[in-house]
Amino acid sequence: MDQSFNLPDSTDWLGTPLSLLAPLESSLRCQVCKDFFDNPVITSCSHTFCSLCIRRCLSTEGKCPACRSSDQELKLRRNWAVQELVDAFNTARPKVLGLAQAEKERLEKREDDAKQPAQKKRKVSRVAEEESQVEEASSQGRQTRSSRTRNSVETPGASQVIPEVIEDSQDDDEYIPEDGMVACPICSQKMKEEAVFGHLNVHTEEAQPPKPATFGSFMGPSQKGLSLGKPPDRLPAINYSILKDISLRKKLRDLGIPEWGPKQLLQRRHTEWMNLWNANCDSKSPKSKRVLLSELDIWERTQGGHAATQSPFVSSSNVMRKDFNANEWSSNHDDDFKRLIANARKKSEAQVRSTIPGAASDGLSEPAQAPTQQHVEALPPNGARIENSEGSDTNNTIDLSG
Amino acid sequence: MASNVAQKRLFHEYKNLSTNPPEGITAGPVSEDDMFYWEALIEGPGGTPFEGGVFAAELKFPKDYPLSPPTMKFIGGGVWHPNVYPNGTVCISILHPPGDDPNHYEHASERWSPIQSVEKILISVMSMLAEPNDESPANVEAAKMWRERRPEYEQKVRDEVKKGLGL
Repeated sequence: MDQSFNLPDSTDWLGTPLSLLAPLESSLRCQVCKDFFDNPVITSCSHTFCSLCIRRCLSTEGKCPACRSSDQELKLRRNWAVQELVDAFNTARPKVLGLAQAEKERLEKREDDAKQPAQKKRKVSRVAEEESQVEEASSQGRQTRSSRTRNSVETPGASQVIPEVIEDSQDDDEYIPEDGMVACPICSQKMKEEAVFGHLNVHTEEAQPPKPATFGSFMGPSQKGLSLGKPPDRLPAINYSILKDISLRKKLRDLGIPEWGPKQLLQRRHTEWMNLWNANCDSKSPKSKRVLLSELDIWERTQGGHAATQSPFVSSSNVMRKDFNANEWSSNHDDDFKRLIANARKKSEAQVRSTIPGAASDGLSEPAQAPTQQHVEALPPNGARIENSEGSDTNNTIDLSG
Repeated sequence: MASNVAQKRLFHEYKNLSTNPPEGITAGPVSEDDMFYWEALIEGPGGTPFEGGVFAAELKFPKDYPLSPPTMKFIGGGVWHPNVYPNGTVCISILHPPGDDPNHYEHASERWSPIQSVEKILISVMSMLAEPNDESPANVEAAKMWRERRPEYEQKVRDEVKKGLGL
């Protein structure tokens, strides 16, 4: 769970100077799963969802979740443009977000500094007339800066070709002012503030090689599909009502998926498999059948036949399906269970206590206690044991006679 | 990743609600170990007898969320309203899947769909507090009172709100 709490989300942009990217990111996410579109497909009513999400919706309801017009899985078409957008956005996202967050921190820092005038040079220079001491400091700061710029002008070649990146302070002493250096948000190299933007081009150039690759792969799948001549076959929908249990079971066996359970479960499992399979057919890089089988297994454990939470007859009783949650039940009734256990313990303790002194009478009335008694027999020290031995004797005689 | 779909989606909704909460609404999972059980706080809408009250509710999500809607129940009682069962369960069209219409009065367009969200549910419940729907009441007594003896209804609601606040 912890891991999922670090999931990237469109709200990551909020609070940064790029908060307007939040709605952009939301629009690149599926409205059903709220994740980035995964194999996006478009419905005949022109709404886009992940292939698997819309297939699951259509197989439960037969309607578009956005506008509720009826639709069929057969009419879904891949939406490559959206896939492209998502891929490109995802490639750029970490770096853009990194920049936005660095900028946010910088702005916050500046604000903090502004609250402490002595440390803030620029702000101070505006308020300079009031505090002469600070003015001195700020003018010094200005001096160093101007000398710095002069220096960089003196060595034009270096500042143009190498965008003022300082790796080692010993290489060029002229570039080591104590402050005024900022870290590149991407590679954390220290450099002058003015140089950051120029320097960032280095990173964008670095990042470019994968870009044409993703663009090229846009055309990839269809070409690959053609050249291989073997796109995976889609599974047809089945009209379950005309199939008998046995033939449905055989179908599942032929598909290579589990075939146990009552017909309801078989239907649901087949539907889930069909959705997984057909959504995979929409993928640029289809997964292997083994991966799909493991996904079906997860379904089996969370919603299918192995789900502790649901009876196999789910769809026949909607109330059960929606309301009953075994985990919740056990956590809600945890106290009850503990109380029952405590009661049971108390009872057995009470029995033990009552059996030790008056063992004879108890033993007579409830022969079932014999095991407890014998167990107790071993535990107490000598004093109790003498008394108890009588009881166990009588007990034994009863056992023999009965 | 069948259950992950539900968990991830609930996580996104939670994150969105906590960073960008609609006015008068707070909601989130009770424990981060169980994303399927949430608690929500709703402020009574202004200009209604519920004004000034804060109402706690629990939300339970099915494993196949968002295909099926969650259920919502006010906890601690004290919500005297035509569309809230005496045990606190909320009866509102957005919480009903379009498939079944036990009450035969709801339009499919008002019902649950996977693109609805916790936020939309809570906003709907807020507006339900302001404007009861007495077509198919969950609390018949409250509905009758609301329809026929409005001042008494409003007084009772205000009393319940005060009681709820411990006044």
